[in-house]
Amino acid sequence: MKRIIIDAEKCDGCKNCSIACMEAHRDQRGGGLYTVDLLDPAIESRNVIVLDRKGAYTPIFCRHCDEPECVLACMSGAMHRDKESGHIMYDEERCAACFMCVMNCPYGVLKPDRATGTRVIKCDFCANDNDEPNCVNSCPKRAIFIEEVV
Amino acid sequence: MNSRYGCETCFSADKPLEGFIADLPLETSHHRVASQEIKCGFGLQGVCCRLCANGPCRITPDSPKGICGANADTIVTRNFLRAVASGSGCYIHVVENTALNLKNTAIARGAIKGPGALDRLCRLFGIAEPDMYKKAIMVADTVLADLYKPDYEKMELVKKMAYPQRYKKWSELGILPGGAKSEIVKGIVKCSTNLNSDPVDMLLDCLKLGISTGIYGLTLTNLLNDVLLGEPEIRTAPVGLRVINPDYINIMITGHQHSMFVDLQERLISPEAVAIAKAAGAKGFKLVGCTCVGQDLQLRGAHYTEIFDGHAGNNYTSEAILATGAIDAVISEFNCTLPGIETVCEELKIKQICIDSVAKKSNAEMKPFVFADREKSSREIIEAIVESYKSRRGNVPIKLLPEHGNDETLTGISEVSLKKFLGGNWQPLVDLIASGQIKGVVGVVGCSSLVSGGHDMLTVALTRELIARDILVLTAGCSSGGIENCGLMTPAAADLAGPNLKAVCKQLGIPPVLNFGPCLAIGRLEIVATELAEALGIDIPELPLALSAAQWLEEQALADGAFGLALGLPLHLGIPPYITGSKIALKVLTEDMEILTGGKVIVNNDAVDTANILEGIIIDRRQSLGLAASA
Amino acid sequence: MRHVIIGAGPAGINAAKTIRGMRPDDEIVVISKDKYVHSRCMLHKYISGERNERTVDFADENFFETERIEWKSEVAVTGIDAAGKKIICDKGDMTYDKLLIATGADSVIPPIGAMRAAPNVFGLRNLDDAQKIRGLAANAKKVVIVGAGLVGMDAAYALLELGKTVSVVEMMTCVMAINMDAYAAGAYQKRFEDAGCSFYLGKKVCGTGTSGDLVTSIELESGESLECDMVIVAVGVRPSVGFLAGSGIEVERSVKVDAHLRTNDPDVYAAGDAAGLSGIWPNAVKQGVTAAKNMCGENVTYDDIYALKNTVNFFGLATLSIGINAPEDGDHVEIREDRRNYKRVIMRNKTVKGILLQGDIRYSGFWQHLVKNEINVSDIKKSVFDITYGDFYGVDARGQYEWRVSA
Repeated sequence: MKRIIIDAEKCDGCKNCSIACMEAHRDQRGGGLYTVDLLDPAIESRNVIVLDRKGAYTPIFCRHCDEPECVLACMSGAMHRDKESGHIMYDEERCAACFMCVMNCPYGVLKPDRATGTRVIKCDFCANDNDEPNCVNSCPKRAIFIEEVV
Repeated sequence: MNSRYGCETCFSADKPLEGFIADLPLETSHHRVASQEIKCGFGLQGVCCRLCANGPCRITPDSPKGICGANADTIVTRNFLRAVASGSGCYIHVVENTALNLKNTAIARGAIKGPGALDRLCRLFGIAEPDMYKKAIMVADTVLADLYKPDYEKMELVKKMAYPQRYKKWSELGILPGGAKSEIVKGIVKCSTNLNSDPVDMLLDCLKLGISTGIYGLTLTNLLNDVLLGEPEIRTAPVGLRVINPDYINIMITGHQHSMFVDLQERLISPEAVAIAKAAGAKGFKLVGCTCVGQDLQLRGAHYTEIFDGHAGNNYTSEAILATGAIDAVISEFNCTLPGIETVCEELKIKQICIDSVAKKSNAEMKPFVFADREKSSREIIEAIVESYKSRRGNVPIKLLPEHGNDETLTGISEVSLKKFLGGNWQPLVDLIASGQIKGVVGVVGCSSLVSGGHDMLTVALTRELIARDILVLTAGCSSGGIENCGLMTPAAADLAGPNLKAVCKQLGIPPVLNFGPCLAIGRLEIVATELAEALGIDIPELPLALSAAQWLEEQALADGAFGLALGLPLHLGIPPYITGSKIALKVLTEDMEILTGGKVIVNNDAVDTANILEGIIIDRRQSLGLAASA
Repeated sequence: MRHVIIGAGPAGINAAKTIRGMRPDDEIVVISKDKYVHSRCMLHKYISGERNERTVDFADENFFETERIEWKSEVAVTGIDAAGKKIICDKGDMTYDKLLIATGADSVIPPIGAMRAAPNVFGLRNLDDAQKIRGLAANAKKVVIVGAGLVGMDAAYALLELGKTVSVVEMMTCVMAINMDAYAAGAYQKRFEDAGCSFYLGKKVCGTGTSGDLVTSIELESGESLECDMVIVAVGVRPSVGFLAGSGIEVERSVKVDAHLRTNDPDVYAAGDAAGLSGIWPNAVKQGVTAAKNMCGENVTYDDIYALKNTVNFFGLATLSIGINAPEDGDHVEIREDRRNYKRVIMRNKTVKGILLQGDIRYSGFWQHLVKNEINVSDIKKSVFDITYGDFYGVDARGQYEWRVSA
């Protein structure tokens, strides 16, 4: 499985990964970063950067865990492992918005969507793009990069 | 493995240049594009605010306002006004020095090479005085007096210089500028911490700064230079790296202030200087044109055939020019003097001299241009350059590119020389436009950047698209340097034009792209626009004419652009000037501006799309004037 | 090897899936009294018509075919013969090598008035409950719900959606008293009331009014009488283990299991509500997985018994609650509240014993680990509400997160 590996020490907190994620998850693509509506709550970023207790940047990105607590907690079947890619995928159609996955992610990665509170915002590894995830491509520091993990 | 510095150089419209830079063993800007490819999205959208200690604040759905409460509109327009004010400052600095140099020359009874231009300015300013030197002093003083007015006192020459219909519009909008320097201060104050938060008010200030920049920084700098340095005369000249002759001691010049070189360029061809050069093993001295001051020399090249070898290239060609190894010194007085030339100069032992501290480079020797000390300082500069020549030649590799560029670029075009070429009035051009043989006119101006596909990529591609649609292209700025090196300013380029424009070019023996020289000459294009409007009895926004600063680079370009908008011109930009984070700024600049001034910003990074849009505007305007869409 | 699983809830289905993953060639049978695999957490969405039999299914698409599992639906297990490794069913007996009891639990209907016998009184536990409720709801106008826990509130929400007149009776003085404090519960009560729901809190049901078989009113000790066309009882569940009587498998209130979820018979396991360890979905899933691994010869223990956690989401208002809900003497309670949020933390001995977040519950999953593991947070020099996973951030060699907790 491919995983986004994080080298937190390299992160400068520019949040490019967040804009890149918003860019990748809007209905109308094209125009690049210039046309991402930064105020549109409908295109939330799946990743976030927070500070640790010493003030260092810690990039919080879905790990697509080996033992995915979100999948174990899901009572609708919405959260599942894709057999081909190995990634943990979220099926909005099946989701019943109980948010048990939000509560059970031990790293606090997941969240209900801000605009409607009826779905979960979850990294999909930019599955609809042919390339690497948009966030990885946008990192000026290579603080996030792709590795195949077995 | 080879000796190339890196293999990720960006594209250039100028393919020989692209190959030359790719082969270099030195790092240039073209090498750094890839490593800077990841841009900060907040920066791109103009919503990063560092105006106070609470910052940087950035706008996201979770943080729609800065700590102070400034929203995206306020943050974007504050940043934008700040950029326009800085850009205006640059051009006002240039016109101020130019006026001072003219005045000092006149006081010293030095050479006035453009008496005709002086008379035209006197007529315009209402100066009646028989003595040439007194006239020059009065002209310079009139300009300076306006520049130094407080912001609450309107500048007087605006009314004399502006097209009356435009003056009226500006007056209605309340954007007639006070003293140009004071307006810059006011603009900077407005956008400082916890002051103005009204996006529209700040955008109107940008227009005001655009007017002072355009009329003074651009137009009057040209006209004052015409007086001091001689008027442009149409001719053909060689361009590109081929102009570098290694047999000479070569000096690359960068900047915008040609009037600072008056003494030096005379002295470099004096018998004493030539003797020194010969003693050092060279045939003499040559100035190699680079950036806009090189364009200005090229434009007036008829007066400087002996000292000036030709224009080698624009801003992002400067490193390549130096990398030939045949340049012995760089003299800089303004932008575009890239910081990146420093390492190239160091590597190739090229002497760097700055004559205006605004462009002081870290490893350059500062030799400030002081009019009274000009002769002494010219002598010292020549000595330093000869020393450089002696110490470096033979010790650094020479890598020329004699096939680069061409020998037949048409140059020397100004609002005066073009009208003269047409027979003394604009009627032939008006007739060609009316008949549709020339569908319209687009000024492709401004800089080159490395991000719109690469060096000159959008500029050149757009130009090709426009001429193929029978649209005459006029250029000014670094766009000129790129387009001329690509051969589009040779009469043979007529073959690239659409059938109607091609026929016109063939008949007149001109290229489909006319080069007005430095970016300052955007002011000349705007005189042409004004005079065409006058000839037709219409306002400027009614003309089948547009501007494109396709690869705008600098804050100056934004101030120029603001002038274009104030004139009511459609203004194309390849990439947005850090404004897309503000819906209001975007709407005002790209839509509402049409109601305010008649102009508007068009952002598009694709040559074909842009050409279609600009052609559409031209056709609309032709139809509004009762003209057929095309011939 | 033949694995038989009784029950197609979260424990049963995940056990089957786990066994298949470990044993590609073993025989796997899932028996259920239900016709459809369904998620009991979504039954209210079935009632409201938002979902149908197919969309309350939580298993992967074509689960049984894909995983090559024999699916015996609508089969009632009436007994087990552990010694003979035999399952006695209404539709014929069958044998097993390894057995998992994952039969879940049944609604408790208290013996008050005609409640147990009336055909218009339902629990809400299985899809057939929901089907019956939906069927009767077509003509019912007034519905009384007994119990304002999560299931009762789910039912109330669904019936409000259908435009019914809904009354909720609850012995506690607030709704969802197990899941949150009275203040947070009040926010939901208000939203339900705004939607037309009536609450009778702190009140006990003491009888029923009837007409023929049907219950037509619910009588309260306070003397109030609530007219109804239908009653839903949501006061609790009891492990569904009655069929084990005389089977040889030890049963108390639920099936007795060890840490490996194994019963007194080494080939029989139990998971989920039937095992009585904890009553929430994620734990049932994990128990199913654990039992399955042991059925395949592994030796793993189930240790995540932490069940003091839940999320609630009604009318766009989400609440997350982990840990204790009522502070004890000496506990330190901190509250943070704004226009859109109510947050309460219960601190004890430098650890977080309980967290309640109402409103914004984004990025809140880490609290469970913090509370469950009683992690000392006294060395974090900021408000406890501002703690994030970033304060315990660590990445292992395979790029997975891990918790870095200072000793």
